[in-house]
Amino acid sequence: MRTRGGLLVANIIAGLALGYTVANIGFGDYAELNRMFTFQELRMLLAFAGAVAIIVVVFAVLRVRRTPGRIHAGVIPGAVLFGTGWAISGGCPAIPIVQVASGYLPALVTMAGIVVGVRLCRWANTRYFHLDSGSCER
Amino acid sequence: MTEYWPWWAGAVGLALTTINYAVTTDRSFGVSGAWDRVLHWRAERRVERVNAQFADERVLAEALAAAAADQFGAGSAAPAARPAPHDDARASEPDVRPPAAASPALASLLPAPLISQVALLLSVFVGGWVAAVTTGRFQLRLDMGAAFAQIVTDKPIAMIGALFVGGLLVGFGTRLAGGCSSGHGLNGCGRLQPVSIVATAVFFGTGVLVSFLLWKVI
Repeated sequence: MRTRGGLLVANIIAGLALGYTVANIGFGDYAELNRMFTFQELRMLLAFAGAVAIIVVVFAVLRVRRTPGRIHAGVIPGAVLFGTGWAISGGCPAIPIVQVASGYLPALVTMAGIVVGVRLCRWANTRYFHLDSGSCER
Repeated sequence: MTEYWPWWAGAVGLALTTINYAVTTDRSFGVSGAWDRVLHWRAERRVERVNAQFADERVLAEALAAAAADQFGAGSAAPAARPAPHDDARASEPDVRPPAAASPALASLLPAPLISQVALLLSVFVGGWVAAVTTGRFQLRLDMGAAFAQIVTDKPIAMIGALFVGGLLVGFGTRLAGGCSSGHGLNGCGRLQPVSIVATAVFFGTGVLVSFLLWKVI
């Protein structure tokens, strides 16, 4: 699936699976998310950590190659902003999409915020930061 | 309405999604990266057109050599552009290589096609909708639930403000950090990449701190 058509199919499968899975875990539910972040309920935390553990083992066995990425000056400030926004709005970039799909119409406002934030970051980086922030997605 | 999945089912679901993508494409996926590329589609299409012109590694090497020759003189042309000694016998032969097509090594370094990023975002919507409908959780509503009203705000205008500011921080922060919970959290941590481990620890730690503040203090 490394051709243009193959990548399209792979992304459709990944998107469907991701949307279906995170909705069924409960990441779109603000109550569940707050309970995860405040350790009142470990179910979602264990789901995420368990997934990472499985992926680490399988990637090591299959010798999946690493992707480019280095710790640049934007990583920690960016992660702090992201964590703050996630705790307030209940949405990491995929979750507002799932929330709208589940009927939470105000999540459209979260998506509007993401649109502005993403565009603002590229503009600010080009104009002021000049960070080779790149992306971990390759 | 059915219960949410137990932790182990969620872990297997997220892991299978990530592993399947990595094994079949030799790449990572990330939702914040997809947002970024889709929202800058004009610039991304220009990049795709340029990449298409250099789809063949040999063409790219020759173009780089030609550019170097233009800049510094013919003697500086990269060795890759000149036929190697053992290639002399074939120098006069017509080029019988297949037409330009990215080699697997080069193709995996190029960004995924823009259309595939659009598809990723739309598919997340469809997957979430199927889950909501099949479990009986789908319900059109103008609030974010009782917990949001209790922990963040129950005033509609303040809710819109909080969601917008939260979304803005998510959008800006994920792009500044170079990834989100899928790109850094699943794909990057799964590869034990230091940058992803640091980013995930920091955004999760901040999420914990802010959630406790919202829950206990504010």
